[in-house]
Amino acid sequence: MSQTAQIRQAARELLQGKAVECVIGYERGTDGVNARPFFAYEAAEADRLIFDQTCTHDLAKYLLNRKGKSTAIVVKPCDSRAINLLLNESQIQRDKLHIIGVVCPGVVERRWGTPGAKQLNACQVCQQHTPVVYDTLVGQPVSEPAVADPYPDVAGMEAKPADERRTFWEEQFSRCLRCYACRQACPGCYCPECFAERLDPLWVGIRIAPGENEVWNTMRAFHLAGRCIGCYQCEQVCPVNIRLSLLNRKLEKDVLGMFHFQAGMDAESPPPFSTYQKDEKLGIGE
Amino acid sequence: MKSDNPFVPHMATLREAVELTPDVMLFRIDLDDPDLKPDFSYQPGQFVFVSAFGTGESPFGLTSVSYRRGPLEVAVRKVGTVTGSLHELEAGASVGVRGPFGNHFPLDDFRGKNIHIIGGGIGFAPLRPVILTILDHRSDYEDLLILNGARTPQDLVFASEFDTWAASPRTRLELTVDAGDKSWTGRVALIPSVVRELNLSPQNSVAVICGPPIMIHFTLIELKKLGFADHQIVTTLEGKMKCGLGKCARCNVGDKYVCKDGPVFTLEQISTLLEQF
Amino acid sequence: MRQFISKQNLISWLRQQMEARQLVAPTQVDDLILFRRIDRVDDVILQFQNTATSPKEWLFPKTETLFHVERKDGKAELIPAEIDGETVIFGLRPCDARGITMLDLPYLADPADTLYRQHRQKTVLVGLSCLTACPECFCESMGSGPEDTAALDIMFTEVRDGYLVQAITEKGRSLMPQALLSPAETVKPPAPETAPVPSEGITAKMRQAFDGPYWGRVADRCIHCNVCAYVCPTCYCFDVRDYTNKGSVERVRSWESCQSPGFTKIAGGHDPRANKGARMRQRFSHKLLYFPEQFGPLHCVGCGRCVRACPVNIDIREIMQDVQRMGAPK
Repeated sequence: MSQTAQIRQAARELLQGKAVECVIGYERGTDGVNARPFFAYEAAEADRLIFDQTCTHDLAKYLLNRKGKSTAIVVKPCDSRAINLLLNESQIQRDKLHIIGVVCPGVVERRWGTPGAKQLNACQVCQQHTPVVYDTLVGQPVSEPAVADPYPDVAGMEAKPADERRTFWEEQFSRCLRCYACRQACPGCYCPECFAERLDPLWVGIRIAPGENEVWNTMRAFHLAGRCIGCYQCEQVCPVNIRLSLLNRKLEKDVLGMFHFQAGMDAESPPPFSTYQKDEKLGIGE
Repeated sequence: MKSDNPFVPHMATLREAVELTPDVMLFRIDLDDPDLKPDFSYQPGQFVFVSAFGTGESPFGLTSVSYRRGPLEVAVRKVGTVTGSLHELEAGASVGVRGPFGNHFPLDDFRGKNIHIIGGGIGFAPLRPVILTILDHRSDYEDLLILNGARTPQDLVFASEFDTWAASPRTRLELTVDAGDKSWTGRVALIPSVVRELNLSPQNSVAVICGPPIMIHFTLIELKKLGFADHQIVTTLEGKMKCGLGKCARCNVGDKYVCKDGPVFTLEQISTLLEQF
Repeated sequence: MRQFISKQNLISWLRQQMEARQLVAPTQVDDLILFRRIDRVDDVILQFQNTATSPKEWLFPKTETLFHVERKDGKAELIPAEIDGETVIFGLRPCDARGITMLDLPYLADPADTLYRQHRQKTVLVGLSCLTACPECFCESMGSGPEDTAALDIMFTEVRDGYLVQAITEKGRSLMPQALLSPAETVKPPAPETAPVPSEGITAKMRQAFDGPYWGRVADRCIHCNVCAYVCPTCYCFDVRDYTNKGSVERVRSWESCQSPGFTKIAGGHDPRANKGARMRQRFSHKLLYFPEQFGPLHCVGCGRCVRACPVNIDIREIMQDVQRMGAPK
């Protein structure tokens, strides 16, 4: 049975048996090619659900709108890590949740109207093809490939001289519209009042201009250090194609090196920057 | 430099800042340009944007009356960054003023009628020019009821004027608070229940209401029960606004802009709006 | 009368414009085509479908200073911003130029938005008509079309070896030297057809479809970013704040969107439009109901950018179809 058929069956059963009020999954979008998020409330709607390589969205973000409501959700392995992150940070309740985990061969870059030909960078070096948490598993777990260099993009950037990197990021940030799509799509961004919109104290002015854009993008990246689960949503949704994943993956790589930590692999281990131990040495000012 | 740019405020000077309640200040403001003063006329219900340069500007209903030719007055409750900055200003400080904006209370239509003024908290402030206009032209209007409510006795705005108002002919002043204190001997009740208790008569009357959204909501229910028709109820809508000119589209509600088409609406007008604020 | 300009002459003309004033045109930036200020005429892209973001930012910038505050002898003085210098925007698609007529309606209404008026007066709009239609375009259903000349001063249409030239306004004619032109011998190529959407009668249907669970269902998947508004050639909402930097104070306005969570939240915390569905409905009500009732035209030119850029496929074409179906009288 195809993954789509398995998801439909699971969703139908959950909705019919009233185990959940809603199943969050994917349906085909209006370009006839790409998937879009879909909320099924009736068993009859289950047949609209699909799964394929265009299912790029990290649906875990939507759980924040459904706090306290019984919900089933279709997740890829990276999205399942987002669920662990949100559980770890006490944002959602496990007992309200039915997780339909999908074994994922990787998804493609979203291109309007045409099937994406290129796998996302993150998928090319993925080492987690089976969800880390699920109630129903769709697909057979696969043995994980050994990836020699999981951060080729970051290494490439690190190899460049500082002024070249500076020029690169200045150009990238100069086109930022501060539309906040990156934040709105990110499962790790859920502050009731984002620092970017806070007036008192004012962290960053409202200008949509290079200086403010740089503060906005770098501060957001730092807020996700040790928390980013690598779903690539920020880069996928950016209307001006800013290479946000490079920032996040650089921090992910550093956190892995320094703290041997990857966000969302379980719901218990606290992210390194949410804990503090007296004997911690950060190598700063010592 | 003179500018036709409607976003550039008139320079003005804060003459006096008077504490009305623990978190509300009354600002008396004079426009700096002597040529401008005589032309700067406004009606009860209209508002101005006041700038605290460096923080921003916010809209405030004028609490003064134009015909008395005094300084512009606005009551400012400290709730955000702009109001916080304004509260820190001292007499003599430079501020900016844009306006007057918006429509006004239809005082001409109120002539010959009994008028019930119902205000809650800082929402009572823009009703003060309605009261002053009626008292200054007392024979034009019938009975006046003023109902002013606040969270605590300390939060009642314009308390220093209560005696004058209460002593005016055919004028009744009712005060109420949500929670009294040791010295308070008056009413402890929410405005909607006072409206019910007073059994206000819709006969040849209008009710003018301003206050927090929840108070307006429940007061309207009571007035409807008492038999007030939609055209006899005048209230104000509040919307986030940035320009006052119908351009920034922030205060858009249905096909209206609160800043341009409001802030004063009859319930009859509000009920034709698609969206309910 | 239609005239012809060779490609070589067009490039010389662009170079002249670039030297005489600011030239803004589509150019390649990484994998995007964007309107940018041109410093080398070779950077101008002549063949493209449309830019990723609309050209509105050259008339209604993302961020713009309204005035500066200067302190002199303890007194504050306000220095209003002025737009100096002329701009030529080359390569406007007809839908985007039509979009500028939409900005005109609220911004030039009395009292005019001074900075917008100045931008408008100091900008020459040069169009490039569409020879192919993007699959997500629906301009013809929205009162525009591949050959629409609204707001344009000059329109170019690509033909073999060059372009047909149509100088539409006096401003356009004065900028187009006859020496670069010759009589047109080529016939105008046929305009492409865009896919129709049911826009007829949509305003009345929107009114009928205002209440009901539909908007909440669509809003389920909306992530409430501002992409749709910021790529849109007609969206015109803004925010105003003061900006301080090392003691200098200026008042700036920046783009804002009705989809952003704080759009209607007033000081003190009350938000009359806190509901996701109501926010979603606001966008489409403003475009298809309020704006037409206030100003006449539908507030959408069918450029299709929001359709393409929306991260979760909220598609105005689909919404119009749904509303037409739903809009049976209640």
